[in-house]
Amino acid sequence: MTKPKRTHPLGLLQHIAKSFKDYWFLIILLFTQRETDSIWFWAIITLLVMAFIIDPLAKWLTLTYVVDPDAVIIHSGVFVRHHEHIPYSRIQTVQSKQWFYLKPFKLEEVLIETASHEDRTPEARLAAVPTSVAVEIERRRQASLAPTTTASATSEETPTTETPSVPTDLHYQINNGDLIKFGLTSLIFIPFLLVLLGLYNKVPRSLSDHLIADASHLALALLIGGALVIIVVAWLGAFLWTLTRYYHFELTRRDDNLITAKGLFQRNTITAPLNRLQAVRIKQNILRQWLHLQTVQILIASKAASDDDDNDLVIMPVIPTPTVYTVMRPFIDWLPAQRPDLSKLTVPRSWYQIRNALLTVAAPVALLWWLFPSWGWISLIFLPIAVMQGRYAAHNTAGDLITPTLLALQTGHFWTREVYYVPVDKIQSMKLKRSIWMKRTQLAHLTINVRHGNKNQSIHLRYLAVAAANDIYQWYLHQA
Amino acid sequence: MEQPQTHQLPPRIKRIWGFSALGSLLVLLVLDGLIWLAYKFWDWPLWLVIFFLILTVIEPTIETGLIPYRYRFTRYQITDLAVEMQAGFIFQKRVAIPIARVQNVTLNAGPLLQWQKLTKVSIATAATSHDIEGLELPEAERLREQIMRLAQEARHDQA
Repeated sequence: MTKPKRTHPLGLLQHIAKSFKDYWFLIILLFTQRETDSIWFWAIITLLVMAFIIDPLAKWLTLTYVVDPDAVIIHSGVFVRHHEHIPYSRIQTVQSKQWFYLKPFKLEEVLIETASHEDRTPEARLAAVPTSVAVEIERRRQASLAPTTTASATSEETPTTETPSVPTDLHYQINNGDLIKFGLTSLIFIPFLLVLLGLYNKVPRSLSDHLIADASHLALALLIGGALVIIVVAWLGAFLWTLTRYYHFELTRRDDNLITAKGLFQRNTITAPLNRLQAVRIKQNILRQWLHLQTVQILIASKAASDDDDNDLVIMPVIPTPTVYTVMRPFIDWLPAQRPDLSKLTVPRSWYQIRNALLTVAAPVALLWWLFPSWGWISLIFLPIAVMQGRYAAHNTAGDLITPTLLALQTGHFWTREVYYVPVDKIQSMKLKRSIWMKRTQLAHLTINVRHGNKNQSIHLRYLAVAAANDIYQWYLHQA
Repeated sequence: MEQPQTHQLPPRIKRIWGFSALGSLLVLLVLDGLIWLAYKFWDWPLWLVIFFLILTVIEPTIETGLIPYRYRFTRYQITDLAVEMQAGFIFQKRVAIPIARVQNVTLNAGPLLQWQKLTKVSIATAATSHDIEGLELPEAERLREQIMRLAQEARHDQA
């Protein structure tokens, strides 16, 4: 039994930074007061001191931790004391984040996640601890698993190529070319675009009116040029953002763990045990589809990856389509050796999906037309987009049972093609739906529920061949 | 494996649904009153009042009217491997929950269900939760025991 330890004093900085991140809006209050002698002014100052100094300090002072032989124990809380015991066998992921300024001190922030549904925060957050702590936790966790590995191996979903531990570490590191390709083809510039457009709206009316009046003879050119500039700026912003976050991306398989590390200013390392994987997703947006690039993600019952795309841990940012399976299989044994044929669930008709996409946009289009009679016709552009999206969805809906214990599913939502590989024992429940009209058309919908983060991820496959969908449902219902 | 049997919900559930339709009616009537007051004193538009009056008539009627349909097509079955629930005919829905995935079973009864000696059964997995709307108390307890026993046997550490 070791003595509870406090985190490093630099952890206090982390706590203060977090307070600023959470309560920055309180500072605005300061600007509402003109006189410095009013009682409100001092009340606000007190509030700010409480929020940004006292509270983080109290948090830092009261948080202590012990790395015990069978559990990590965290004591915290000022008035209400929390004592959190996290047994090693229940740990889903261990995440360490190292800001560049912590590196010289050999410190990092450690976050531990279990599968519990509680809270929106990790089970344990140690603001600044020596890097040896994460190593120690990992060693203890391995040790706690050791006696049961043989027992669990038999109940695992993969009797085929079960190798309990790979003797040498498997390693992959992204090269700069791939990283640049990944950044350039990221569609996250769209949110950036929206932010920029929002900023544009903040430009004082008089100024923009003035500009437009000045250049009315150039109006169209200016409009198009401005739009292009905004798109390019958003795209560049997104590119740099992706670059810093995925800088020096590394994937390692050590024993039965997958370890990812990435980031320039903040090095983010996540360790996930392979047997905790809920599903694997290989996805590509339409841009990457044209360039034959894919991204591989894993679904885990932890919120450690909440900064990643869709909150799922990216284990391969970008990889050329032909090599996905050969590169990934050593890391995850149960993936297929090549892209399987998934056409069994697909139906050759895309009309239903097109119809549904059209119905979804019909109401907004009608509304726009009604509100802005002179400009509403522009919204008609959504109709062909909807038709194409419907077609895209229908063409990409696919799936099949590729081994008796592995289900593959493919969807095409919002111009992104996603292939999921879900081992049968990670499918939490399955739903089969069909309306009375679909009896005639021999179609059905299938929903597969998988755990992801702290909640459920439903994989919806719509308008499938009923016989094949029913086969999968019956297989799931009767699996031993 | 024994041949699974599909069960219907106990017939008294229809009475509960009837009362719940009555409850909707009461809530809507109160809303109507409030909106009428707003119309009277704050000049809210008249069409809003009419809209809510129509809703007050239609919603409970449909709810009541659908009770036999709902009862007829809601079914559940439990085998050694899985719990399966079915609902609807026009929009048919089937859900499969393998017993090995069940994390916990909760029995839940509001005042209406308690009065009729029925209980709602919620079956939770690591990701989702599914309800059987009403079961006889002994039946529900038997079901819970069965699911928990089977879950113990089928258990390997999930999630």
